[in-house]
Order: sequence, then C-alpha cells, then structure tokens
Amino acid sequence: MNRRTFLLQTASLAILAALGGPLARAASAHHGWGWATDEEFELSGHVTGVKFGNPHGELSLDVKGEAWLVEIGQPWRNERAGLTEDLLAVGTKVTVHGHRSANRDEKLMKAERLVIAGKDYNLYPDRQS
Amino acid sequence: MLMEFLAGLEGSALAAGLRGSKWVYPLVNAGHIAGIALLFGAIAGFDLRLMGAWPRVPQEALAKVLVPVAGTGLCLAAGFGSLLFIVKATEYAASSLFLAKMVMLAIGLANLLAYRLLSRRLAWSHGSAAAPPSPLLLRLCGAVSLVVWLSVLVLGRLVGYF
Repeated sequence: MNRRTFLLQTASLAILAALGGPLARAASAHHGWGWATDEEFELSGHVTGVKFGNPHGELSLDVKGEAWLVEIGQPWRNERAGLTEDLLAVGTKVTVHGHRSANRDEKLMKAERLVIAGKDYNLYPDRQS
Repeated sequence: MLMEFLAGLEGSALAAGLRGSKWVYPLVNAGHIAGIALLFGAIAGFDLRLMGAWPRVPQEALAKVLVPVAGTGLCLAAGFGSLLFIVKATEYAASSLFLAKMVMLAIGLANLLAYRLLSRRLAWSHGSAAAPPSPLLLRLCGAVSLVVWLSVLVLGRLVGYF
C-alpha cells in the first residue's frame, strides 16, 4: 500500500482506540437493562413455574389472573443472594422489585430484588431497588 | 420421539452442569462466538476472492490459509454450539428462528460440498500470480456462501431476542 493509505488507516485506528475509553465507561452502566424502563417497578403474585440456570433464570407469576414472566439472575447471582429454586415452589407468594419491559404490551420484567415470606433476596445489591 | 430425545439431552448431567455453572457456560458461549468469527471472517475473504476481488492475489495461496481457518471455525462453532443447545434443547427446537438457522446451516454445508466437487474438476494454474477466472458456478458458490453464513450468524443472534 502507499504511504498515504498507511497513514490514513493508522490515524483512523488511533482515533477509534481513543474513543474506546469513554465508550466503555458509558456501556458499563447499562449492560443488559437496555430493553427495560428506568423506573422502579414492583409486582406481587403467585409462582406458577420456575426455571433456574444459564443463560438466565425465569420465574412465571400469576398476578391477579395475568401471566407475567420475571427474569432472574445467572446461577452465581442467585446463589450469592441466597435465592434457591425450592424457595419458589408453585403457589408461593412473591413480590418482585425491578424494571419492566419498555414494551408496555409485554408482561415481562427483570428482577433486582425478590421478597419471599418477608425476607429480601437482593440480586443486584449495587443497584437501588 | 424427537422431543423425548431432546428432553433427555436437556436433562443430562452435562446440560445440568452447564446450566448451573458460573464460568463454563459463558466461556462456552464465547468459544461459540470465536468459532463464528473465524469461520465468517476467513470465508468472507475467500468468497470475495472467488467472486473476483483482488484478481492479482493468487487464489490457491489464499485457499491454503483461509479454508482451513474457516473449517476450524466451523468445527469450533458447531462443537460449542451443541453444548449451548443441550442447555435448552426443547425450547430451541421449538423456536422457528433456531430452525431457520439450522436450515441455513444445512444449505451452507451443501454449498461447501458443491464447491469442493466443482473446484476439484477445475485445474488451478500453478505458478502464475493470477488465478484463472472462476467459472460462473464457482463465483455463485462464493456468493451463496457469503449470504448463507451471514444469515446463519444473524439468525443465531436473533434467537436470543425473540
């Protein structure tokens, strides 16, 4: 390649690399929450089904006759919070604090904190919930 | 019949281990992506050459490097992909996006086979810097390959969103 092409390409790479820093900072704040709204959301209902495990756990709730899906954490996150599958037997009453889908038609939310029998299980202690 | 077999895979100790792991599943996922990167990156270069790009670059030399890299990528993607699959086998099997991905994968492999059979019947021009122009069929294999592997990639990614 000629000298001009080489210089142009190297300069472009350098600029991209320099942009990487601030972009990485911005990205770390919102990974995985992009599809949900920013406000805190609370839901109470009875467990109709639960599935733990990678890629992420899922909890089905009956909320006054409506079927809701709650995304719970990865195995290590649930373990860290003390949340086990046996705590979520069918019929258990549970309150979930987190963020609901930005698509209002979807009955889907991502859990930050669960309250079962008066006890807190915080999946994201760094986040306010 | 099939659903029972898939349920069996999903209930296996291997699948359970992957489901409950902290590091293994994410690393297997990363391995799947690495395989895809090698496959698509290498084959894109070779397909473009097949279609006539960089005419002065010897095709045989490119083939020697890019085809093994792409092939390795395919094996890695398929291997790690199978591990990812068993974790939710019944759910993936019921997903039309996943099934579309499998159909495209089959087409990709069929196209690969067709290319190998076609290219074997054509003489490479050894020793000269410029490869003979690919006949239309080989160019077509290149184009199909590019479109199909990109489709497999996109469909695979969409599985996680719908």
